[in-house]
Amino acid sequence: METRHALWLVLALPAAGAALCPLLRTRDGMLRWALGVVAATAAASAVCIRAVFATGPLRVGGLLHLDSLSAYHLGVMMAVFLLASLYSITYFRHETFTRGGAIRYGGLWLGSLGTMALALLSNNLGLMWVGIEATTLLTALLITVHRSPAALEAMWKYLLTCSVGIAFAFMGTLLVAAAGAKAREALVWTSLRDAAATLDVGTLKLGFLFLLVGYGTKSGLAPMHSWLPDAHSQAPAPVSAIFSGFMLNSALYCILRYVPLVESATGGSGWSHRLLVLFGLLSIVVSAAFITFQNDLKRLLAYSSVEHLGIIALGAGLGGLGAFAALFHTLNHSVCKTLGFFCAGRLGQLHGTQDMRRMGGSLRSSPVWGTGLLAAVLALIGMTPFAIFMSELLIVRAAIDTRSIVSLVVFLAGTGTVFVAALRHAVRMAWGDPVGERPPARATPLDVALVAMPLGVILVLGLWLPGPLARAIEGAAAVIRGGRP
Amino acid sequence: MNLEGLVPFALALVLAPLLLGVINRTKAFFAGRRGAPLLQAYYDVAKLLRKGAVFSRTTTWVFRAGPILSLAAMLGGLALLPVGGFPAVVAFEGDFVLLAYLLGVARFFTVLAALDTGSAFEGMGASRDVTFSALAEPALLLGLAAVGREAGGLSLSGILPALTAATWLSAAPQIALVAAALLVVFLAENARVPVDDPDTHLELTMIHEVMILDHSGPDLGAILYASVLKLWILGGLLVGVALPVRTGTVLIDLASFLGGLFALAVLTGVIESTMARLRLVRIPQLLVGATTLSILALILVLR
Amino acid sequence: MTQMIEAVMVLLVLTNLLLLGTSRLATCIRTVAIQGVALGTLPVLGHAHELSLRLVLLAVGSASLKGVVFPFLLFRAMREADVRHEIEPFVGYTASILIGIGSLAVSVWASSRITLPGPAVSSLVLPAALFTILVGLFVIVSRRKALMQVIGYLAMENGIYAFGVVLVGEIPMLVELGVLLDVFVAVLVMGIAIYHIRREYDHIDVDELDALKG
Repeated sequence: METRHALWLVLALPAAGAALCPLLRTRDGMLRWALGVVAATAAASAVCIRAVFATGPLRVGGLLHLDSLSAYHLGVMMAVFLLASLYSITYFRHETFTRGGAIRYGGLWLGSLGTMALALLSNNLGLMWVGIEATTLLTALLITVHRSPAALEAMWKYLLTCSVGIAFAFMGTLLVAAAGAKAREALVWTSLRDAAATLDVGTLKLGFLFLLVGYGTKSGLAPMHSWLPDAHSQAPAPVSAIFSGFMLNSALYCILRYVPLVESATGGSGWSHRLLVLFGLLSIVVSAAFITFQNDLKRLLAYSSVEHLGIIALGAGLGGLGAFAALFHTLNHSVCKTLGFFCAGRLGQLHGTQDMRRMGGSLRSSPVWGTGLLAAVLALIGMTPFAIFMSELLIVRAAIDTRSIVSLVVFLAGTGTVFVAALRHAVRMAWGDPVGERPPARATPLDVALVAMPLGVILVLGLWLPGPLARAIEGAAAVIRGGRP
Repeated sequence: MNLEGLVPFALALVLAPLLLGVINRTKAFFAGRRGAPLLQAYYDVAKLLRKGAVFSRTTTWVFRAGPILSLAAMLGGLALLPVGGFPAVVAFEGDFVLLAYLLGVARFFTVLAALDTGSAFEGMGASRDVTFSALAEPALLLGLAAVGREAGGLSLSGILPALTAATWLSAAPQIALVAAALLVVFLAENARVPVDDPDTHLELTMIHEVMILDHSGPDLGAILYASVLKLWILGGLLVGVALPVRTGTVLIDLASFLGGLFALAVLTGVIESTMARLRLVRIPQLLVGATTLSILALILVLR
Repeated sequence: MTQMIEAVMVLLVLTNLLLLGTSRLATCIRTVAIQGVALGTLPVLGHAHELSLRLVLLAVGSASLKGVVFPFLLFRAMREADVRHEIEPFVGYTASILIGIGSLAVSVWASSRITLPGPAVSSLVLPAALFTILVGLFVIVSRRKALMQVIGYLAMENGIYAFGVVLVGEIPMLVELGVLLDVFVAVLVMGIAIYHIRREYDHIDVDELDALKG
């Protein structure tokens, strides 16, 4: 068997795992099964990713294609899913969960892993769209694992906003296909890239606008982010973690796929870059405003995701070093935000609320999760020595390199506001006066590991970027810049 | 002035009341009745002309002038309508606008006469009639503009004869849209179901009938005759657009026109028997819908 | 064949206006179904000279999905949610139709400014498709019942389908099937959501889903 056929495995394992879910008998068995399937998928992905960075892109027919950009995202996704699957086990121990609910959860969990993998692996832009739309539908049901009126409201808004948004993206996909009528296969990314010079520029630009708005809705870029805080705050914490940790990035990944096409068709005019910068800055500003007046912890984290997705879009839009910084930031943010939602979920369970004004003294009530949350928030707002500080510093450098003074000023003002506002919340939650007395919660070794692993990753990455990872990110950035990997 | 246009003009004057008979006979058939004689409208007009008129003391000359002026406007409108192979008696560029506004003039005087009585009911009917016809007017004008553009003319006598069976082949959607819009206008302007019910005798729901409650004798006869002429004019427009048989043989063209017109009368009877009157609030939607059809046709023609 | 395609497009425009003007939920469901069936014929009409089994299967599949399965699902959702038959719009019907005419004009104007590569099938396709998308969006934002939002979404999807089939044409079977499957699942999931919203709230009025803010 050639390595490239392992790509099929990455798609087939979650699908088969999801299909077998109804056979499982207990809740814990279900969650372990999900973890096992995710781990197996991760192993298959690891083989593929290694091969990509060792020998170049993998390809199966016109359908599947794994280059350094998608391989990098695949790696981030598997890391997030592994952590979140582990966390599910400890999170749902403290929730009432019927067997039917658990089966639904496991099936949807693995199903959404499969559809996101489809979006990443497919070489066909139409299939990529199918993957993202299917992700929306499956994750919508994940929000309402616990049926409450608020969760239903959040699900409905998510379902409708994103379905409409993604319908726009489909329109954009069709326009790109129309623009590529002269290419050998109009919907296949690699053949569009090879025929970039023959693409019809006007149609392509129009298509990119639709794609940016469409996938931008799904990736939570302002002003299309309205569904995001609702869905994040109402979903169970592991689901929020994969929402912020990877689902948003998967949609942004789709936009990034089109950037090199537009740029090489327009002869490197930077048109699509400017749009990305615009939406990125807008997201940073809007989220800064909402974070300042936020009292709900999970909504705070959700708006922080809007901010960070904006930062990634900004980085990708700045080009050059910015593309590298954006991808590095993707990894940092995903790991860090996953940790944030883990802690927010467990602290929410312990305090019985997500209102930060009633969650004071979390360091005392739960040393492990309280520390994790404090560290996660500090990292998210760009404190040294965490890795997010490094990637944001790189973006600042990219902005200076490209003389984008306006972007730089807005970026610094936005992140500065977030820094002050979120720091205030974090301090109050960590050391503030507790509302009511409760004994400190005991932490299992799994809990400690769940906090320590992501924290260790962002701490290490902040101090030292390993050579292979740097090369991987550089390879992925080269795809965005339009060069051959 | 075309003297040969006088032939269909005279034909209309003679045959128009028959349309009403056909409509009523169709309705009677659906209701399982024998119904009034086909020539009932002729008998009614003849009877009314023989009677004397009663005028309320509160009315002025406006009330007396209304029916005559309406009838005159209708006769003028009829003179503009080309039929089958015949051109209209009078034809000039843009005469379809004049036709639309002659219908408007007739309505204007009917409404004035109704208001002149000072009766609350008649005022209500007048306001409804004006509202609905204001909404029907753009449908008529835009629809005629669309066929005019399609046929390449500004005069009815240029437009209608230029439409042929070939037009249906080359521009079916446009013609069908205009025909549908004109059918709605036809029903609305002639106060038929689903806009108005000519048979109703509840003043609260009536539109056209309530406006002429106070007229009697020869005046009522003139109104009745004017209304059948209006039926003929608008029906003639619709048939001219929807059934453009142009063989060149005068008799066949004329026969197909008359056949189409009486088929339309039957259709009207069928519609009145099978549909209920719309609620008043829904009527503007119907008319706006008809206008939309005309606009769509115009867009299709213009592109 | 251009004649037939134009007839379908005119039907599309008219059904859109019906969608805006009607007050009946059942009429809306049937209207979108009629659109779906009419659009299902497009692949065959658009490529009549090179008819293949693939195209015919696609046409039959999409027409039966949109003409039979979706109405069935929507009527079932309507029954289960036990909604009243009136739509209760935020924007009145006459105003909706007038807005519809306005967006038709916008679509025609916008299409005249867009030049698409490839063979022009009919100058009517682009405005009709854009108009359908706009009407779908308008229905989503201007109607109170959650079911109407599903219908608006379907209308929008129909518009995109019209655009895709006629202007792009060569889409691989797998992608087409994936898209159809996605739309099918979307309607299914929205139906489930409506059912649960109805159970939790006792109504499906979206303007009262306003607990989450800020």
